[in-house]
Amino acid sequence: MAKKRTASKIQLAVGPGTTSVYKTGSWKSYSPKLGERVASCTNACPVHIDIPGCLLLVEEGKFEEALALIRDRSPFPSVCGRACYHFCESKCTRGDVDEPVAIRSLERFVASFEPKSKGILVSVGKPRGKKVAIVGSGPAGLTAAYFLAKMGYRVTVFEKMPVAGGLMYTGILDYRLPKKVLQFEIDLIKRLVDIRTNTCVGKDITIPDLLKQGYKAIFIAVGMHGNIKLDVPGEDLEGVLYGTSFIQDVNLGKGVQLGKRVAVIGGGNVAIDSARAALRLGAKDVYVIYRRSKDEMPAKTEEIEHAREEGVKFMFLTNPKRILCGEKGCVGKLECIKMQLGEPDESGRRRPIPVQESEFMVDVDTVIVAIGQTIDPSFAEGSPLKVQAGKPLSADPDTLATDVPGIFAGGDVVTGPESVVEAMAAGRKAAIQIGHYLKGEPLESEKELQVVDPKDIDISRILSLRDMSLKVRSKMPKLKPGERLDNFKEVELGLTKETALYETERCLRCGTCFGCNECWIFCPDAVICERNGVFEIDLDYCKGCGICANECPVKALLMVPEGG
Amino acid sequence: MTMKPSLKIEKSKLRLPETELFGPGSRACAGCGELLAVRHALKATGSNSIVVSATGCMEVISSPYPESAWKTPWIHSLFENAAAVASGVESALKALGKSGIRVVVMGGDGALADIGFGAVSGALDRRQSLTYILTDNEAYMNTGIQSSGTTPYGAWTTTTPAGAVKKGKETPKKDLVRIMLGHGVQYIATASIAYPIDLVNKVKKAVSVDGPSFVHISCPCPIGWHFPPEKTVEIARLAVDTGMWIIYEVERGILRITYKPDRLKPVRDYLVLQGRFEHLSDADIEKIQSDCTKSYENLVNRDGKSLI
Amino acid sequence: MGRLEIMQGGAAVANAVKNCEPNVIAAYPITPATIIVESLAEFVADGILKAEYINVESEHSAISALIGASSVGARTFSATSSQGLALMHEALFNASGLRLPVVMVVANRALSAPLSIWNDQQDSISQRDSGWIQLYAEDVQEAVDMCVQAYRVAEDPKVLLPAMVCMDGFILTHVYEPVEIPPLEEVRRFLPPFNPKNKLIPECPLSFGMFADPSFYTEFKYLQHTAFMEAKKTIKKVASEFCKSFGRDNYGDLIQEYRTKDAEVVLVSMGSLIGTLKDAVDDLREKGIKVGVLKVRSFRPFPSEEIYNSIKEAKAIAVIEKDISLGLGGALLLEIRSELYSKPKKPITLGFIAGLGGRDIPKPSINRVVEKAFAAAEGRKAKEEVEFLDLRKEMI
Repeated sequence: MAKKRTASKIQLAVGPGTTSVYKTGSWKSYSPKLGERVASCTNACPVHIDIPGCLLLVEEGKFEEALALIRDRSPFPSVCGRACYHFCESKCTRGDVDEPVAIRSLERFVASFEPKSKGILVSVGKPRGKKVAIVGSGPAGLTAAYFLAKMGYRVTVFEKMPVAGGLMYTGILDYRLPKKVLQFEIDLIKRLVDIRTNTCVGKDITIPDLLKQGYKAIFIAVGMHGNIKLDVPGEDLEGVLYGTSFIQDVNLGKGVQLGKRVAVIGGGNVAIDSARAALRLGAKDVYVIYRRSKDEMPAKTEEIEHAREEGVKFMFLTNPKRILCGEKGCVGKLECIKMQLGEPDESGRRRPIPVQESEFMVDVDTVIVAIGQTIDPSFAEGSPLKVQAGKPLSADPDTLATDVPGIFAGGDVVTGPESVVEAMAAGRKAAIQIGHYLKGEPLESEKELQVVDPKDIDISRILSLRDMSLKVRSKMPKLKPGERLDNFKEVELGLTKETALYETERCLRCGTCFGCNECWIFCPDAVICERNGVFEIDLDYCKGCGICANECPVKALLMVPEGG
Repeated sequence: MTMKPSLKIEKSKLRLPETELFGPGSRACAGCGELLAVRHALKATGSNSIVVSATGCMEVISSPYPESAWKTPWIHSLFENAAAVASGVESALKALGKSGIRVVVMGGDGALADIGFGAVSGALDRRQSLTYILTDNEAYMNTGIQSSGTTPYGAWTTTTPAGAVKKGKETPKKDLVRIMLGHGVQYIATASIAYPIDLVNKVKKAVSVDGPSFVHISCPCPIGWHFPPEKTVEIARLAVDTGMWIIYEVERGILRITYKPDRLKPVRDYLVLQGRFEHLSDADIEKIQSDCTKSYENLVNRDGKSLI
Repeated sequence: MGRLEIMQGGAAVANAVKNCEPNVIAAYPITPATIIVESLAEFVADGILKAEYINVESEHSAISALIGASSVGARTFSATSSQGLALMHEALFNASGLRLPVVMVVANRALSAPLSIWNDQQDSISQRDSGWIQLYAEDVQEAVDMCVQAYRVAEDPKVLLPAMVCMDGFILTHVYEPVEIPPLEEVRRFLPPFNPKNKLIPECPLSFGMFADPSFYTEFKYLQHTAFMEAKKTIKKVASEFCKSFGRDNYGDLIQEYRTKDAEVVLVSMGSLIGTLKDAVDDLREKGIKVGVLKVRSFRPFPSEEIYNSIKEAKAIAVIEKDISLGLGGALLLEIRSELYSKPKKPITLGFIAGLGGRDIPKPSINRVVEKAFAAAEGRKAKEEVEFLDLRKEMI
């Protein structure tokens, strides 16, 4: 090298590639970063599962790694894979083109690989020596327990029912979520935490007791199980049931007295589930009576469709006025009145107004009231927590802290009835905040995610790079309606491996690198290069021009300000 | 276990030759279109070549003594003599009995189409086996954005500014392909940095031809064309999608367009992204559109036919 | 020892160059140099000389092609004059800065305007700062010998500078003289093959011709400067070795002195005029006038010490040259004067501009110059600082 230098002095000739001594990386004020943005599906998912990343692993046949990715954010892939309201699919970029990717079905497919891995993906973290108590073993409670255990805390979950799982057990019927499947995932959590069923906090043990026993933090996740009354004459007659209690009894295997002609009052998923359960329990005529129109029904469209397929009849813009007695002092008739829609009420939906003199009778022998839940405040007995009748427990929406230090609350008890996955998100958040609290760190709200704008996704370019054409969404195999009626067998049968691999390819991989190498091709300075077997962006030379981020068809790269 | 984000690129899936024969550490502006063209062209010319560069952006950013970004043998002499120097290199290789080494002339629009044009014409006349790679950023960028023979109609440059009386360059781009045809060049191609595989294929063909060959590459320049650096490739793509730049090859006089967009986008989409065109009126844009449509249709009608 | 032949000057030089076996020749015609490249074309066409012959489209391209060829490791050659040399201007600096030992014959010719195809030395003298070695030939034989020596000097690893062999256009290029062409085998022994350490080859990729910022540029110029100092020694050494190899020693090295030992007046000049001056001096000496001739053979590098030692005993020197730095005077005079400035003992210096645009310089004019020189030596000051010899006063 020295010889070359001498020669070069005379001849103005130098050796090759020596500009590498000059690190042009110092020029940039923005750096390209991978993984800074999430896809719109991941953003929509309350627990923010890295969905495109997961689907990419499925495409590569790495099912256990895909499962591990899900378990990084959620302890219930099998549950959500069947019962989640799939907020992800509603924001799927693919939905702008043809139909969303069947993400929920794919989650179920991935979850099916759990038994093979023998649950080795679930393990406790290094012990930190502190105890946390969780009240309620529903999705919020168990999720908090799972994450706290992974952090290394000793967790005890107190559950007043004889079974764990909360509404996952008592509120979801077997035809959607078989008990066996749920139990398997709860059992995995049981390996990490202590679940004490038949122990009612507020009665068998109080919150002050827990504090005396050395629990350093408490998470209230009791849910919202009080039934809201219809408040009509005849409501106290025999044959009037309440939706959540009815389903709970079915799920707990208690015998339920049901007639042949059932009217379900309400428009939510509980009402639909009540109607579908009633059919399976032998009812001949099942009506769902709802005071607004079909468009305002809060129940999921697919649930309504399943119900229709199975023969449930719907009466819209109808409200019960009186429950009339029939034989033997039981329900005999239901007097209904037609409704019309007026101005919007506080929920934003148009207020239903009775139509004068439009009353009519319906012959029923069972009325199931499923118009909503309210809080059961007994858990707070003896504690400094303030619970107002008829109102949810108040807790900070970001930190989940109540006004009593060390006591956190989340899930339905705070928000009112929401989905399983939203409760799980609350559980995870609670675990993180409790983690901060126990370390003496300040509680902090989660950083807002940077989301890939579906408008920025160049779909035709992605398809051409992956050498694919547009493919229609696969169909979930289901039991025929005729096969469903006298049993609670799971209606959706799950995707086969072939279908799953087909479906996973439909994902456009928003925000997730799938190796198209456009960034490598278009970097003028060739700073994307191989280091130790992987391709990386060499920030020593990157000038921050942003071409890679601009050309990335899935917008996986984001230009982030230097030092920021 | 959290998935660490990493580029999922696999070597086996790279769509261009992997070896880099240039840089890093060159002083090119962030987002330089010419640099991308040179990077790709070198992948096609390979290491068994000698590159002769003219004075210009690519030469200056690559060779600050005592550094050089070039990994092939390289020589830079003056601004207008690249073709002549390359003639000497090619003759010397012949005289010394060294066959198989391809001599590549790299220059910008100034060096090869304007001041250096005479030397190019002379070398073409001698039919010496040289491959000319013209990286066209449509102005003399190295000296600070002055008008050149390939500056398009209407473009602002420092010597054709848009003012009260004059509105940018008043003459159209030189048609270098026709000039090459007039010199009897057997392989002529136009290429774009937005279509790199096409570019590499064309340069590969060019260096394997006996006698002279010419590849004209359109290279957007963020500084000179006034757009943010991340849009360089996007604008190059738009040039092709609007018909403002057509990519084709002419082998032994027969035209073959290598990429035709399904439907041409309006030139406005291309012009509006560049500050050098912001002074254009709707009437100007209409004129540019109609000229573009006409040229595009003329060329498309001759696809597959002889251009001579 | 070759045989003596009557040859035209240009053809003779071509023959000498042929025996130096250049690998690449770049040719562009310009009167009166054309004959040189035409002769070489015939050698190549007949297969006598195996070289690549490039018919370039301009002189700028000619020198550029040689820059390219030389950097690959080829021995190169071209010939030009006047306008062609001027067109090469920037490339001459470039070739020297790149340290490429290109050899070129310049058939000295006047520069336009007015257009003139006839001889003077303005063309090469104007390029004296370009970093090229400049040797001026007295006659055809010397021009022939200079070509061989030029390659040896230029290609010396301690020199590595381009060289121009200057021969007066028409006067030497078109005249027929008896000349001995150094034979091929002897030239091969005298001239080692050109094999530069740094060249363009894929096996060892080097970059030639970077830009150098202020922190580096000066040093490159310094190295060129010291190479010129080295070249002085090399020119002397090569001239002496040439004598031994080819048996001719009557041309000098950096300078040649003719009857200057006891001269009171020394006539200083370059090129073909030396022949006439030597004749004139012989005539004057017969009359007892103590006059001599100093031939400056190497103009670049400028042999300051050698010139001084040659003229320091004289009372006066008259520099007769075929060029002028307009408004000031002849370059040779000015450079000699500046070298004498610091010396304690120096002759009176007179400058004469002669032969511009090919004007003949007859012996009577030279005699007049000698008279003026003696007059100046005796204290009689000249009428004009810069005298145009034989100016046609009726025209101005």
